[in-house]
Amino acid sequence: MKRLSLIALMLISAFTFKAKAQEATVKEQVTEVNEKVNGLIERLATDEADLQKLAKIKVSGYMQAQWQYFENPGVQPNNFVSLRRARLKFTYEAADGVKFLLQPDFLPGAVSLREAYVVLNDRWTKSFSLWAGKFNRPNYEVEYSSSQLENLERSLVIRTLYPGEYALGAKLEYKPSMIPIHIQLALLNGNDGLTINNSAGVNLNSNENKDIDNYKDIMVRATYNLKLGSFGGLDFGAHGYFGSLKSNALNTLSSDYTTLKSVNIGDAVKRNWVGGEFQLFADVLGGMSLKGEYIAGKNASIGYAPVAAVGTTAAVPGVANFQNNFAGYYLYFIKNLGKKNQFSFRYDYYDPNTDISGKDVTITKFTAPDATTLKNKASGKSDLATSTFGFALHHYFDDNLRISLDYDIVQNEKVSAAGLLTEDYTKADGTKVPAGLDYSKVVNNNVLTLRIQAKF
Amino acid sequence: MKTLNKNKFAVIALLLGMIGLAFAPATDKIIVKGSDTLVILAQRWAEVYMKSHPETAIQVTGGGSGVGISALINGATDIANASRKMKPSEKDKLKERYNTLGVEVACAKDGITVYLHPSNKVKELTIKQLSDIYKGTIKNWKEVGGADAEIKLYGRENSSGTYVFFQENVVKGDYAPSCQTLPGTAAVVNAVKKDPAGIGYGGAAYAEGIEICKVKKDANSPGVLPTAETIKSNEYPITRYLYMYLKNKPTGAIKQYIDWILSPEGQKLVVEVGYFPVK
Repeated sequence: MKRLSLIALMLISAFTFKAKAQEATVKEQVTEVNEKVNGLIERLATDEADLQKLAKIKVSGYMQAQWQYFENPGVQPNNFVSLRRARLKFTYEAADGVKFLLQPDFLPGAVSLREAYVVLNDRWTKSFSLWAGKFNRPNYEVEYSSSQLENLERSLVIRTLYPGEYALGAKLEYKPSMIPIHIQLALLNGNDGLTINNSAGVNLNSNENKDIDNYKDIMVRATYNLKLGSFGGLDFGAHGYFGSLKSNALNTLSSDYTTLKSVNIGDAVKRNWVGGEFQLFADVLGGMSLKGEYIAGKNASIGYAPVAAVGTTAAVPGVANFQNNFAGYYLYFIKNLGKKNQFSFRYDYYDPNTDISGKDVTITKFTAPDATTLKNKASGKSDLATSTFGFALHHYFDDNLRISLDYDIVQNEKVSAAGLLTEDYTKADGTKVPAGLDYSKVVNNNVLTLRIQAKF
Repeated sequence: MKTLNKNKFAVIALLLGMIGLAFAPATDKIIVKGSDTLVILAQRWAEVYMKSHPETAIQVTGGGSGVGISALINGATDIANASRKMKPSEKDKLKERYNTLGVEVACAKDGITVYLHPSNKVKELTIKQLSDIYKGTIKNWKEVGGADAEIKLYGRENSSGTYVFFQENVVKGDYAPSCQTLPGTAAVVNAVKKDPAGIGYGGAAYAEGIEICKVKKDANSPGVLPTAETIKSNEYPITRYLYMYLKNKPTGAIKQYIDWILSPEGQKLVVEVGYFPVK
């Protein structure tokens, strides 16, 4: 019995010891796991803080590769593949209401800075924002994303007035949350994208990061969104451009080639225009819109003063500044076809000189009183109006991938008689065709574009 | 010129092919995405509807109002659920891509509920106090009649419509940096359940096993709980509509589904889930 009791006691002791040992091991393990979890929580908090910083940076972009076919026999090669845009957009939300944006365009052989600006949003009324840097000029088609354009390129009038879309300056925007109104007031350098040559043919405006003169341009745009019940909505507005360029010439020639005004070098040569716009959106069988804009005013190009002969260098007669009255407009019809397809038609018209009609081109001339100090100027191709019928069809594989087919029928204003305005051209085999393009007829400038766009 | 004619022919053929694709018959699959506040209700609607309409497949996911609206803009959903109104910038994107202004359907009413831990002595707060608490101006429960404990703020992520609505209508400023953002109202409720010093906000349908705080318009107003009556009469100060957004006027299966949601049968489920009917 004693022996049995002793064995039992030994067994119980052994179990108790083992249980205690196990308890100690479990405690150690729990402590170990606890420490690991705490370590992980600490690491997670650090990672989360880092991630929050990274979340303030947003990167988006798009790339457009295209094949184009030009029907104009003078364009050689008449078809090629090119990269139209390859842009990355970096946005950094530094703090609530403060945003920085940087958008380079990476084209083969030429990286350019398209946009770079800072926006400060007012934190109290949440209605005002102040922009500074290089941004889109305030205009409907200019501000419309190049990745979303229904007719692949902007209308001719917009491309002419706002070359390169972006401009350096500052802008104040008013966009209250309660009223569907949007007002933009911008102060711009006003020379972005312009070519201003001197007597040697050197572009004086090649520094893209600096103004060429002390004159600043003002641009204002106001739009209002009107709801039309279940039918859709109508957005309408107006914009104006009020600017000047510094004269490098001693004269300014009027749009109709009749009046020569004396000016001083450094005087302001005015460039003013106004425009009206509308966009009608209708929820009809999958969505459609009609959009249009009309712009008219006075644009200007800058000439140069005469250069006297020095030694063996011959004298160069001056070129007068030129102020041209112009008008242009565009009209879009866009129809969504189901979820994946979209059709667009655009008619756009641009008359760079409303004072000279086609029949007067080359006939209307300015004859300088002294051709040795000021060049004569005859109306020409740059005074002819252009109208474009553009048809485009897009297929969205998804939100990131769009394939587009665009066909532009381009028609020029005709001059009054055959041979009055002609251009030579060279065929693909190198054969020259003198006066092959005759502007008394429509010169075929039609273009077919097949474009694929990837966006993220 | 022969080459060109071939090209033109190819262009026309491609155009016609693409137009043909555009008018291909659509299936009866409806994708619904968006507000986490609405996700329970949307799933319930889908379940019940699919039982009586087996030909229609409805897929419902959450993610937040912002996520749903983005999906609507990029074509990844047919219906975007949202617990806030669509922003003008979002409408602009819809205009660019689809040439429409979108269609807004108010499908339920909700009172944003303020959650407290059951042990919290505080039972009611004014809108101003809630604003100060979430801005971080009031930091301790004793400042609003509670115990001496630091207030722990729980809220939603900025993609949430509830986050935006609460910010615009209650906080009226920036959330305190100490506010912990959580993915979904259920996570907010769970966090407050476990934290005696916690405060959270979210849809009424999630308020289970938790203290619901009475909300006062101002110091002189009575505290009001979010109930069917107080929300219907707008007596509860943080009342809002819940929306469904579509690209275009609904047609076919989507129209039938939305008509059903707005019918007495669909609106009955709104009450069952814990929200309030639109009419």
